[in-house]
Amino acid sequence: MRAAGIDIGSRTVKLAVIEDGTTVLARKALTSHDPLDAARTLISGVMYDVIVATGYGRHLVKGHLGCPVISEIKAFALGAKAIHPPCKVILDIGGQDTKAISLNDAGEMSKFEMNDKCAAGTGRFLEIMANALSYTLEEFSRAALSAERAEKINSMCTVFAESEVISLTAQGAMRHEVALGIHKAIVSRSTALLKRIAPSGEVFLAGGVAFNECVRALIAEELNRSVVVPTDPQIVGAYGAALHAATLEEGKGVK
Amino acid sequence: MSNYIRMWSALGLDLKAHDALLSILGSAYQDIFLSQKNRPEGMKYFDFVMSEVHGLRIKELMDAKAEGRIVVGSYCVFVPEELILAVDGVSVGLCAGAEFNFEGAEEVLPRNLCPLIKSAFGFKRGLVCPYVEASDIIVGENTCDGKKKAYEVLSPMVKDLYIIDLPQMKSDTGKTLLKEEYKKFIAKLEGVSGRKITVETLKKGIEIANAKRKAVKRLAELRKADPAPISGLDALLVNQVFFYDDPLRFTNSVNTLCDELEERVKKGEGVFPKGTTRILMSGCPMAVPNWKVPMIVESSGAVIVGEESCVGERGTQWFTEDKSETVAGLLDNITERYFKIDCAVFTPNPSRIEHVKEMYKKCNARGVIHYSLQFCHPYIVESGPVEAELEKSDIPVLRIETDYSQEDAEQLKTRVEAFFERIQPG
Amino acid sequence: MNTKIKPLINDEYTGEPATKRVLAHLQAKREEGKKIAGVYCGYAPAELIRAMGIVPATLCAFSNATIEAAETVLPANLCPLIKSSFGFIITDTCPFYGISDAVIGETTCDGKKKMFELITDRKPTYIMDLPQLPDEKEALANWTVMIRKLQTFLETTFKVRATDEQIEAAIKDTNRKNVMVRKVMDFAALTPPVVNWQEMFDLTTLCQGSTGKEAAPVLSEALRILEERRAAGYAYGPGGAPRVMVTGCPVGGDAQKVFKIIEEAGGVVVALDACSGFKPFMMDIEEDTKDPVRALAERYLKIPCSCMTPNTRRLTEMTRIIDKFRPDAVIDVVLQACHSYNIESHKVGEHVQKNHGLPFLKIVTDFSQSDVGQIRTRVEALLESY
Repeated sequence: MRAAGIDIGSRTVKLAVIEDGTTVLARKALTSHDPLDAARTLISGVMYDVIVATGYGRHLVKGHLGCPVISEIKAFALGAKAIHPPCKVILDIGGQDTKAISLNDAGEMSKFEMNDKCAAGTGRFLEIMANALSYTLEEFSRAALSAERAEKINSMCTVFAESEVISLTAQGAMRHEVALGIHKAIVSRSTALLKRIAPSGEVFLAGGVAFNECVRALIAEELNRSVVVPTDPQIVGAYGAALHAATLEEGKGVK
Repeated sequence: MSNYIRMWSALGLDLKAHDALLSILGSAYQDIFLSQKNRPEGMKYFDFVMSEVHGLRIKELMDAKAEGRIVVGSYCVFVPEELILAVDGVSVGLCAGAEFNFEGAEEVLPRNLCPLIKSAFGFKRGLVCPYVEASDIIVGENTCDGKKKAYEVLSPMVKDLYIIDLPQMKSDTGKTLLKEEYKKFIAKLEGVSGRKITVETLKKGIEIANAKRKAVKRLAELRKADPAPISGLDALLVNQVFFYDDPLRFTNSVNTLCDELEERVKKGEGVFPKGTTRILMSGCPMAVPNWKVPMIVESSGAVIVGEESCVGERGTQWFTEDKSETVAGLLDNITERYFKIDCAVFTPNPSRIEHVKEMYKKCNARGVIHYSLQFCHPYIVESGPVEAELEKSDIPVLRIETDYSQEDAEQLKTRVEAFFERIQPG
Repeated sequence: MNTKIKPLINDEYTGEPATKRVLAHLQAKREEGKKIAGVYCGYAPAELIRAMGIVPATLCAFSNATIEAAETVLPANLCPLIKSSFGFIITDTCPFYGISDAVIGETTCDGKKKMFELITDRKPTYIMDLPQLPDEKEALANWTVMIRKLQTFLETTFKVRATDEQIEAAIKDTNRKNVMVRKVMDFAALTPPVVNWQEMFDLTTLCQGSTGKEAAPVLSEALRILEERRAAGYAYGPGGAPRVMVTGCPVGGDAQKVFKIIEEAGGVVVALDACSGFKPFMMDIEEDTKDPVRALAERYLKIPCSCMTPNTRRLTEMTRIIDKFRPDAVIDVVLQACHSYNIESHKVGEHVQKNHGLPFLKIVTDFSQSDVGQIRTRVEALLESY
């Protein structure tokens, strides 16, 4: 049976298809202003027997595809556990929200906390700052890694931080040092969230922002704990939804 | 209807704003309550009460005033209804649950304040609440910092604001203080009403209050069944109407509703399928028309089977004894009863956790949702230890903190759904 | 002209944060075998504590550094003072808490009240039930009882006693100290002032933590230097600098950014109307009464903290301070999430503007540096308007 999972996030839509326990397809696209259309485009031509939707756009898609939905928290818990069985603590830094999830001894989702009211500590924060410093996201991360010291960013708010970055560079601060300061700011916000639910233990890092090497390095340094990053941290939610789909009977979910 | 317009005008309401409020209430009620499936017939009475919430009930208050009875409005379950009844007064709850005219409230209060307080001010400054305008005395109490200081701002705005002081610790000194405060409150009620509280009138007041409590406790018992014979939304509504309906009529209607629910339970009939995830709400009160979170919970595959809240069991679970033949003795009984209320403004507050555990077992719940109003320091800080203690006893807890706006509805839904995924078997 | 200025307190801690001096003082007391009681608030009856030979140590913390740790347990949306104090305790980094043998708290605000519940199992702790209506007669009776109960707690915990005579002596000692501190304040009331906020803050912090007898030499010397300054025509601040009164929540440590910003904007701070400033010294305790504990209760209930209602005394005290220090503008500093001071600020602003015709600014802030720019803009606008 081919089981599919689709994760409609606020920035990107991700699709994963599993057959006999193996991932046979993984696709991504930008959500754009029309998540339903983006989802439809992503699944067009894809063969599956069951599909489960997750992410912020799950109910929208459910209304049109008639498929079951699970929360992105459960989806990430399922996905992370399957990818890394010893996993107990998950930190997902997404495009517009950040979640920390802890699993109990049976590997089931137990505590979770989300920050979805504020862009600080999310991928959006990095995007805006990269732009303010005239970097692409890759350049931004590399520049930050190259800096020996960080220019401290005081503002907690993304909007004010952007102004702060601009004034710093206008006053002659080094771009790459500001870049490192930004990365430190986002790491401190997201690790603060994590510490509220899991003060210790190895961390499984997921979400699009986990592609950022500087963030990965800083998280490990800030937490002083071991950090595990899957090959594709962004697909974890869709993968978890697909795993859930695989447990359902065939026929659930419209092609 | 034209009667009401004259009545509302006479009360000094801003008719245009009032109309706007009523229409919001009406459509919310339609969407939230009337769309539910398989509601008990007995809820029709409460639908009627809500449809006449600013109409017929207000007319009854005005008629009472014309007969020389006083209307006493209050914001807290620490205000003894028995005392108000003992001067043949009408007790009405003024706690507000709608985000209306927050701009008006925020002209005199900080923005970062509990929505319940802002709503009360929004109603007052917007002149849209006939209960506030009809009250002869408005009773405030020194519970939380927000309310305590907000009453200072409210005082010049209303006819007669009377503050009851409350202790902050459950000590002997605290109990003595509460009793003294109730004594002073009696003097105030007697002064304004022109009536004296006697053993007879006080016993009568206790009897009426106890009968109300007995009826809602009966309702609480019936919610233990699976399938739940009544939705959490409907039960919440009954608990909200508790605060401002005519007590005798309310008691009768709740008992009639319970008769019907008993039949349902016998037949195994419910509003949601058997086995639906059962949730206990605990925390801050939900004042009418605050139905936001129960609606999210009950449209996400669960049923609320109890409320550990002032609009709920914390407000109603105890009876007042009437063992004495003196006013002083009965006042002791009343003080005893009210002193038990375990609001988070008390420090420490250990009995609250015990009550949540008891209710959880009694209602056969599968999870607890701890509900705090935004900026409510007592409940929010207390929620940490409450969650930890409950989780230690294998009671799953989801903590949420929210206001009256619809802004965070989706975010709440995600958390609530994730919580249900956690606690549902399989 | 401003020539080389002699510091008012000239010791090894000159130039350091005021708390270091106090800590050294406490450590010295400890070495003498004295017991230390941590206190949070101006309502803790220091005279009773001192009469029992115990040294009160202020635990209120003003550092931004420990807030992150606190936020793993407490909500982020809470007073920074509470978070900072709690953060110090759970990271075991507060030297004052570390050397305290007991902790005394009061039911002042909701935040502190509920935070205390989280730390009572760490050290012997006594929470006093503070009345909320200070003008009612029950308040005085109840608070007197509370202070006696505290006395019993301290007797049991430390096996020390205090007679009413000793309490009376401590009262007199405090009153002497207050007289001298108020004399220091007189120099801020001058036009132009000859003392700056940092110096006053250092002195008030030291005096909070010392007996009158201990503080007397330091205060005498400070007064002598101040008199010298005045005689030499010394003026603190730029000529014609707007005089600013700062009222509101306690301000110390990282929150002193507000004072610095006021000075950078060309103003001069002449009055610190907070428990971290003048408030503890503004009123004396009645002496030679039959019941010194009752006299204490009476004095302490007069503290115009916003946790009291209706707190009319806040306005009357502010008037007293405005009349004496003649500020040109008033700034009300409200710590973030402090409901009582925040709500009260409205009537404070009305009083300052309508009854005193002074420009008024409310600042809601925390201990971080993130809002320094925004505060600066507002303060500059305020000082421009005068």
